[in-house]
Amino acid sequence: MAKPPDDDSPVSGVSRRTFLKTAGVGAAATSLIGAAPGAAGPTVLGPDAVPLALKINGAPRTVTVEPRVTLLRALRNHLDLTGAKEICDRGSCGGCTVLLDGKPIASCLMLAADAVGHDITTVEGIGTPEKMSPVQAAFVEADALQCGFCTPGFVVASTALLRQNPSPTLEQVKDGLAGNICRCGTYSRVFEAVLKAAKATPVAGRKA
Amino acid sequence: MSQDASPKPPEPTVTYVVKAGHASAPQTMEVHAAQGDIKPWDLDSKLRVVKGRQPRLDGPLKVTGRAKYTFDISMPGMLWGKMVRATVPAAEIVKIDTSKAEKLPGVKAVWTTEARAVRFAGQDVAAVAAISPEVAEDAARLVEVTYDERPYVTDLQKAMEEGAPTVYNPDQIPDSPKAPVKGNVVGPIVPRRGGQRGDIAKGLAEADVTVESTYYVPVHTHSPLETHGVIAKWEGDQLTIWSSTQSISTVREGMAEYLGIDRKNVTVITEHMGGGFGSKLGASAEGSNFSGVACKLAKQAGAPVKLMLDRHEEHLCTGNAPAALMTVRLGAKNDGTLTAIHHRSFGTAGIAGGAGTGGPSGNLYANTPNCLVEEHDVFTNAGPAAPLRAPGHSQGAFALESAVDELAEKLGLDPLELRRKNESSPVRRIQYDVGAKAIGWERRQKKAGEATGTRKRGLGMANGNWYVFARGSGVGAEVKIHRDGSVEVFQGSQDIGTGFRTAMAMVVAEELGLQTRDVTPHVGDSRWPEGVGSGGSNTTNSVAPAVRLAAHDARAKLFAVAAPLLGAKAEDLDAAGGKIFVAATPAKSIGFRQAAAKMPNEVISAVAERKKQYETYRQDLAGTQFAEVEVDTETGNVRVIKVVSVNDCGIPINTLTTESQIIGAMIQGVSWALFENRILDRNVGTMVNPNLEAYKVLSSKDMFEAVPIITEIANAGNNTSAAGIGEPPIVPTLAAIANAVYNATGARVRSLPLTPDRVLAALAAARRA
Repeated sequence: MAKPPDDDSPVSGVSRRTFLKTAGVGAAATSLIGAAPGAAGPTVLGPDAVPLALKINGAPRTVTVEPRVTLLRALRNHLDLTGAKEICDRGSCGGCTVLLDGKPIASCLMLAADAVGHDITTVEGIGTPEKMSPVQAAFVEADALQCGFCTPGFVVASTALLRQNPSPTLEQVKDGLAGNICRCGTYSRVFEAVLKAAKATPVAGRKA
Repeated sequence: MSQDASPKPPEPTVTYVVKAGHASAPQTMEVHAAQGDIKPWDLDSKLRVVKGRQPRLDGPLKVTGRAKYTFDISMPGMLWGKMVRATVPAAEIVKIDTSKAEKLPGVKAVWTTEARAVRFAGQDVAAVAAISPEVAEDAARLVEVTYDERPYVTDLQKAMEEGAPTVYNPDQIPDSPKAPVKGNVVGPIVPRRGGQRGDIAKGLAEADVTVESTYYVPVHTHSPLETHGVIAKWEGDQLTIWSSTQSISTVREGMAEYLGIDRKNVTVITEHMGGGFGSKLGASAEGSNFSGVACKLAKQAGAPVKLMLDRHEEHLCTGNAPAALMTVRLGAKNDGTLTAIHHRSFGTAGIAGGAGTGGPSGNLYANTPNCLVEEHDVFTNAGPAAPLRAPGHSQGAFALESAVDELAEKLGLDPLELRRKNESSPVRRIQYDVGAKAIGWERRQKKAGEATGTRKRGLGMANGNWYVFARGSGVGAEVKIHRDGSVEVFQGSQDIGTGFRTAMAMVVAEELGLQTRDVTPHVGDSRWPEGVGSGGSNTTNSVAPAVRLAAHDARAKLFAVAAPLLGAKAEDLDAAGGKIFVAATPAKSIGFRQAAAKMPNEVISAVAERKKQYETYRQDLAGTQFAEVEVDTETGNVRVIKVVSVNDCGIPINTLTTESQIIGAMIQGVSWALFENRILDRNVGTMVNPNLEAYKVLSSKDMFEAVPIITEIANAGNNTSAAGIGEPPIVPTLAAIANAVYNATGARVRSLPLTPDRVLAALAAARRA
């Protein structure tokens, strides 16, 4: 089922949509992450699919998408990195959390085009089933998942939390995970897992 | 559903004597199992794997993002489907114009409904399939629908008024039981199970004290994080459906019937599934035929179609728990002995029936001589309800168990003592002691609201009940032992997050004397032996007995291989720790793998079918909960400090994941009690909060100390003694929290959720009184 490593095939036959709308959205999002538009105004992409050079889990990946495509959908629908989930699609559940230059973000709220030039880490980049990270191993051991659909988001958010604060208190864990929703009701097991992972890992090993 | 009601001559049985009940008060009991069934695990069984704390086997795939849910699957040439939904609550469809959508480049197929009547905003109207989700969304927006709008009603109480717009003409009312119909109201309906005994008027007349109050619970949506959806793929006349479902067999049967094709040509796969809570038991959803539409779009386009609903749609058309307006009357003697329970409910399941909430009132306190439960369905122009985690029971228990608390107050009795006095279950009597100790019930304020200061703490409790649902036949399992010693189990039910797959591996490991990780479970594929729909907390207890039988049979076949190697008879052998040995002289042993290597064929395969359900120690599953809350009397904010849930699920197969389910039910229950409320705009008939921020669910910051306690009980009527756990622990939570708020403040909140406005209003009312 996995797509070939040469990534994406361009989407063809796509209609032209409102030029101004697309450019406007792109400009707004670009300025949000601080890449100030130059005197010549914003770079205009699209509306047809354009190739984007992304850096994901340490490797360069090229994806050809319409500029309106979110980072989440680029990861999921064009690169077969489906760990990040589309749950609310509006930044209120944390299910699509990825790291952008080490900081957790909602990938459903960022355009893929705006992720160019940044380091993106997805849950797949944090560990593998054969070689889980301490956070991931602690989640399994503490049964910090039920259906598991929210779990990748929690794992990424927890990883970011422990990098920032290697020895959090329970209250700090609750704060750090406040943007993630679990519907099966696994929060207390998640807290247990994060605190366990914090204990299990020497502080030096948790930088990076 | 619970027992096979068989009018035919009795099947031959085999009698087993089991050590039943709770370890603190065991009792010997005879059970009559179907011939060929094996002796059930009981209190005397020395289990090596089962009852352990086994992390789930699919955990590593899920924590690393490798588990492929339906939403995650893609395939070459796949198209993306998108539904168009009614934007008005009541109308006749005049015209659906798809011409602009069809002309949009990238659109490959279009579907429109044949139905003309719109009864809720969110109903299926049309659908498209296109080369990307973005193009599909564009195309859906280009579909133009002309409505002839009609009067509508979305509010429960307004729908009950004389002259309210009617959702159905009298001859159109869907599958309601035979009951009087007046406008939108159907009823009273007296439920079959425990609905009526004695004479309610007599019981109330005999009472020294009576209480009567009316309670309200709003609509909750299931809100599973993986939305409903499928991928449909045709290869000739063969149809494969990947579905986010709680019942692959229902999807197979429903789609075969809808499409007019043979079931044998339909395969349904659910490898991993992102939550359902009762909303995913159908072939599609209660308020949408998206599976059927996806199959038709795929056929039309000649390409696989993925059709996943978005969050907005998920709230509108995939089911919800009915709102309920409930009046409970209780009568009791001065010593607390209940003489009467009368529960009258008006519930709305939107355009569907089945909004009854009286279950707990008819079945808790079963010693009460006079009981009457009267349920009414009220139709509204809103999405149809679907079973939601112990359907009707959390609402009903909120009313009944709040009323019991009010009765205790009026009698001047401790609510725990009042409940003890009227308890009919020996299991719950044990649970009272365990739970009271765990919460520190002696800390409870004797006089509600007596604490000084503005942040007041209080303790409350409530009971819940559920039933032993188990399918007694038509459930199979296959166990394979390969010559290299590797072991697989195949079973057609789906793991909806309960840990079912891991539990099945544990049962096989127990029988074969292996460790759980030595067994590879395969679940969620309609090509495996027949499974069950995961509803009614019935999956593990329906399936585990068949799995155990298949493993037992495979073990017997392997023992026949090992016996001559050990110079013993097969029936004298046992298996444990990866070895097969002579039970009387364990030193005479051979490794499991070494024995497998001597198999005459490449594979030992054992297929078994579940035997009928038989006598249980208790037909109902007891549960009780204790809660501690803190109420800020200035802001009305309620913070839950701690909840203790004490539950019976027979013998838990996997204690770790069983506890997780209990914790999960407590959390979802607190979320309902404090936050959740589907709001429809009565002026336009659409949902105001169809997302996950305005439809607020409990998050990390609201989290409390959740203490799950399992009171292990044998026997549950099958060879594993397993019963269900997914639903029972959510039944008491709403009332336990509301009763704790009362104990903290002296203010009774009878309408949920316990948001600051309602709490402040109740505090003001309490001050006036």
